Amino acid sequence: MDRSLIAIIAVLLILAPASRAALTPEQIKALPPAASGPVDFKSQIKPIFEASCIRCHGRGRNRGGFQIDSRQSLLKGGDTGPGAAPGHSADSYIIELVSGLNPDEVMPKKGKKLTPEEVGALRAWIDQGLPWDPDISFAPIPPQNLVPRAPKMPAAHNENNPVDRFVDVYFEQHHNEAPHLVDDRTYARRVYLDTIGLLPPPDELEAFVASHKSNKRAALVKSLLGRGDAYAQNWLTFWNDMLRNDYKGTGYIDGGREQITRWLYSALLTNMPYDQFVAQLIHPNKDSEGFSQGIVWRGFVNASQMPQMQAAQNVSQVFMGVNLKCASCHDSFINDWQLSDAYGLANVFSDQPLEIYRCDVPTGQKAATKFIFPQLGDLPATTNKQERLRALASVITGPKDGRLSRTIVNRLWARFLGRGLVEPVDDMQQIAWDPDLLDWLAQDLVAHHFDVKQTIERILTSRAYQLSAVDLGELQSTNYVFTGPDIRRMTAEQFRDALASLTGAGYAAPNANVSMSEDVQKQFGPKYQARWIWNVPGAAHNAKVGSIYLRKTIRLRTPPDQADALIYCDNGFELFVNGHKVSSGADFTRPFVVNLKPWLKTGENLIAVEATNSAPDPTAATTNGPSPNPAGLYIYARVRADSRGKERVVDFVSDRSWIVTDKKTAGWENPSFDARNWTPASELGLGGIAPWKLPDDMIARQFVRRAKGGVRASLVAADPLMAAMGRPNREQVVTTRASAATTLQALELTNGKTLATVLHEGAANLIRQKSSGPELVRSIYEEALGRTPTLEEFALAQEWIGNKPTRAGVEDFLWAVVMLPNFQLIY
Amino acid sequence: MNMMKHNWNRRDFLKTASAATLGALAAGAPRQGLAADQPAIQPTADTVIVLWMAGGMAHTETFDPKRYVPFSKGMPASDMLSTFPQIDTAVDNIKFSQGLEKIANVMDRGTLIRSYTAGDLGFILHTRHQYQWHTGYAPPQTVACPHIGAVIARTLGPKNPAMPAFIDIGQRFDVGEGEELKSFHTAGFLGSEFGPFLIADPADAAESVRPPEGMSPARFENREKFYKALVAQTPTDQFGSAYQRESLLRSMDNAHRLLSSPAAQSFDLTLEPKESYDKYNTGRFGLGCLLARRLTEAGARFIEVTSEYIPFEYFDTHENGHTRMADLKKSIDGPIAQLVLDLEERGLLNRTLIVVASEFSRDALLEGKPDKPVKDQVDEPAKVDDEKFYGMHRHFTDAGSVLLFGGGVKRGHLHGVTAEERPCKTLKDRVVIEDLHASIYRAVGISPRLSYDIERRPFYVTRDGVGQPILELFA
Repeated sequence: MDRSLIAIIAVLLILAPASRAALTPEQIKALPPAASGPVDFKSQIKPIFEASCIRCHGRGRNRGGFQIDSRQSLLKGGDTGPGAAPGHSADSYIIELVSGLNPDEVMPKKGKKLTPEEVGALRAWIDQGLPWDPDISFAPIPPQNLVPRAPKMPAAHNENNPVDRFVDVYFEQHHNEAPHLVDDRTYARRVYLDTIGLLPPPDELEAFVASHKSNKRAALVKSLLGRGDAYAQNWLTFWNDMLRNDYKGTGYIDGGREQITRWLYSALLTNMPYDQFVAQLIHPNKDSEGFSQGIVWRGFVNASQMPQMQAAQNVSQVFMGVNLKCASCHDSFINDWQLSDAYGLANVFSDQPLEIYRCDVPTGQKAATKFIFPQLGDLPATTNKQERLRALASVITGPKDGRLSRTIVNRLWARFLGRGLVEPVDDMQQIAWDPDLLDWLAQDLVAHHFDVKQTIERILTSRAYQLSAVDLGELQSTNYVFTGPDIRRMTAEQFRDALASLTGAGYAAPNANVSMSEDVQKQFGPKYQARWIWNVPGAAHNAKVGSIYLRKTIRLRTPPDQADALIYCDNGFELFVNGHKVSSGADFTRPFVVNLKPWLKTGENLIAVEATNSAPDPTAATTNGPSPNPAGLYIYARVRADSRGKERVVDFVSDRSWIVTDKKTAGWENPSFDARNWTPASELGLGGIAPWKLPDDMIARQFVRRAKGGVRASLVAADPLMAAMGRPNREQVVTTRASAATTLQALELTNGKTLATVLHEGAANLIRQKSSGPELVRSIYEEALGRTPTLEEFALAQEWIGNKPTRAGVEDFLWAVVMLPNFQLIY
Repeated sequence: MNMMKHNWNRRDFLKTASAATLGALAAGAPRQGLAADQPAIQPTADTVIVLWMAGGMAHTETFDPKRYVPFSKGMPASDMLSTFPQIDTAVDNIKFSQGLEKIANVMDRGTLIRSYTAGDLGFILHTRHQYQWHTGYAPPQTVACPHIGAVIARTLGPKNPAMPAFIDIGQRFDVGEGEELKSFHTAGFLGSEFGPFLIADPADAAESVRPPEGMSPARFENREKFYKALVAQTPTDQFGSAYQRESLLRSMDNAHRLLSSPAAQSFDLTLEPKESYDKYNTGRFGLGCLLARRLTEAGARFIEVTSEYIPFEYFDTHENGHTRMADLKKSIDGPIAQLVLDLEERGLLNRTLIVVASEFSRDALLEGKPDKPVKDQVDEPAKVDDEKFYGMHRHFTDAGSVLLFGGGVKRGHLHGVTAEERPCKTLKDRVVIEDLHASIYRAVGISPRLSYDIERRPFYVTRDGVGQPILELFA
């Protein structure tokens, strides 16, 4: 034979499909025998495939070129030949592989190996000609909850709220009992917490209960949703959890993480339409880019956790209810997403096409950019990342996407009713227990231009929401039937804010850097101009080391309802009111906000301050001599009194009306002290002067508070109490918090310092405000539980507190009340 | 000698366990997954104590001494392998670095691993390596990973039901890299029922199981009585079954029970006889070891005592390595040895596994591994003119010492060999974190392939389930 013929034959032999050798008679004898009797595909073969085969050969996956999506594809086989020979199980490759004749080539490579009985069933099935139910397929399952849909509205039975029309149909189908609606008190407590995260103040609650207006519940919801800052401060928590946003945390030390707090708060304050909200997170501006940037660690990072992969995972989880985490390392075993899907989406966030890593090993292949739901729209093939991001944002928020809207309304439903229409809420491929209701709520959101507050209103005014709470506990997922909202538990922030309302012991200063609304600025901003003062002009540049003493007399016609002083002092101060030392501070970089109310009285009040300029930092000396040592005192006191329903402003500020001396004489801080020879203070300038440069909105931001209590918990970093009560470390996206009580939590509540301090301070506040035991008991019940105590409860509490309550007694009473299930749970 | 007697009844466990524990143990998520072909493992330990040398403990300065060259002005930096001479131990073929005489005397109660190598994470970040050491996974991760203590607490449950199963002693979280530390001091997705009970200062441990400051025991009891009475009076009947309510009340019961149980006394170091207390009192770490002993006697399951990680402090020696190591060895030598001896005396050492470890080792010149160096973080001059440059100041990940006592490990055994000259890297029997964890888990009867389901994904207690217990370590 000439050489070219040999070459051709050689090539043909090489190219010929590898065909397996037939089994030897010994090997055939070693096979498990075929089962006897007719085989039922659905009950016998389908489970084997699902347990052992489809992970690699089904749902669009085809390892070794072999797919068992259908009978046809199974017979066709893969790279090494046909899968089975109908009627001849002993000749079927699939049998050879699953029976483990060759231990190096047993199938499945991973997962549950087939038992001899299962092999036997498979053999019988093949011998019987592979009967395959036509309606069963292992092809990829089409995405659920994707296409927008406007279901037909059921007829009304006295229901104005469309939600209830759907729920009525559901109830009929499930033979649910006639629904029982909760009373006004229970309803009010729910909606206050669900909209603004606060307990209803007793006066507002009583007014609501007493009102005879026919639509009062709907009106209440609307009014609460209109409270811009309170709403924003409540929902900040929800979105901080979901967008991994926090004020402290991993990555802030070395710049591997960025906050989106200002942007987020502003978006909530203005009720930014949800489609814009999502678009600005996907295609971000400078203030919103922290979310898609993820958390960057120095050093080698597993390929599946590169920032672009984090973005793909988080965007798909939060907005689309899709879990790409598994598919970030390999084709997913728990759903149908593949490695190329995760990388395709990650590519959108990448400047260069990413190299695909499988299980952190490079494959040498570059990813092709694609969207996980290509049916929703195309992404342009462009090297311009901004264009790609804009396109992705547009596709996700576009009219074809019914997944975005369903995901958010489902999260809201879960939030208010304790369990989503779809569960788990991060797996929107699951079917809702009422698909029509889910679809309708989703299209309703879109129809109202993605107005989230509107959807919240829909849900909170529905009868479904107003039903008595049901306690499902751990049975939540098995055979769920909706019969009413789940009993829920207050979040850590709600618990802490409720404590603050109850006791006046809130947080002093926020960690979050947010801009308050104009309303808040108007309400809490300064009415007068405060000025930096000292005993000499020019102190803003340089002043002697040492202390000065200042006095100011103010006159009040009535005792104030609110009196808070904001104090900045370079470097330190001690504050006295009517001779009592009330506060001190030694940090010129931050303001101190002090409650003056307990110390002020009708008539003349003396405010006295010892202000100290410390020695300058010696290491800051320059070759030109010691560095300048500025000194200054800045006080804005917001004092308000209620005068026949109107608020009277009696604020006072630091200015030249204060008198000052630099000589300390005993008793200088007392009202009776004769300070005739003191001189007027020198005004150095307005708040914004150098070197301190206080921002314009600083006063409003510091004074923002509810009627009682300090800054809200959502604006401060986690403390041990909040962490114990379930506030998460936001290193990963958190869409639902665990609410089960744990022993560590209970330990923190039982003897933790944080709570003990709050109760201690709170008890002192309460004793000052309410003089008698009975008054105190009633007031705490009304504030904490929204009702008066029963006779038995009152008797018990009275016995405990007595007529002249002591601080310890009130502390322990408060503790017992806030540990009540009725306080912590939302019925 | 004062030996505490502790009686607790396992039958009472179910009564006292919180609803969260019960739910988890019975059927709830996260679900345990065990390979069907895993043979049952016979545990050799019931309690684990990790003594954590935070900051990178140099092996050549502690349990794996090399050629010693004392400081002399102008010496070449390459002469710095060990800055202390060697000493004998109770085991012939094992030498320690000077300053660890007391632990040397108890070396015959345990096994020394010299070949621990840390992961290759690129840039050396202490907390990142510490995260990997304590969870088996390098951050960032898609789920909140549980600390090894939480895994043990979740899988085995508490030993004495009145005691928190996972106790962590000695670390403050409001200093240094507190946020990064918080990220692995957690039970993660296993749920906070199994999280660490934190005690920053062992001297204050008693406070953490006492009524709040300023509250007398009598007032504490009265408060509890009043609370129970108030609960009983609160109308709740119209709301059907009471899972949430019961869960809350039961957890409060548990907390109260711990605070008023005899087990709470074990937290109180002032109850320790002075002679014994003084043996441990070298500082916070030493007292932490004493606390660990008392808690072990009271039936704790997993205790970690850390020398505390604060950047550039304690073992994180970026300068003055020699003088600081001298001090550090003083602070750990007596307490660790005493812990071993005390447990042995009380007949508890056999069933208590003690693990002394650090996130990586140190070298004077090398950063990372010789074949995988990483960015230098510390300046080291070629000639050492000042004593402050005399010591191990860089981070070395290609070797490390881990000391194991009790809990079924071989007595007087050496595992692993490292080079005598720079680089003092592992030459034989390398130990990586998943295998070290697998060995610890084996001691308490947990399979390295054990997994818990989170978001339908099995999360393995050793990285991806590949951990292999090192059987040569066990008797």
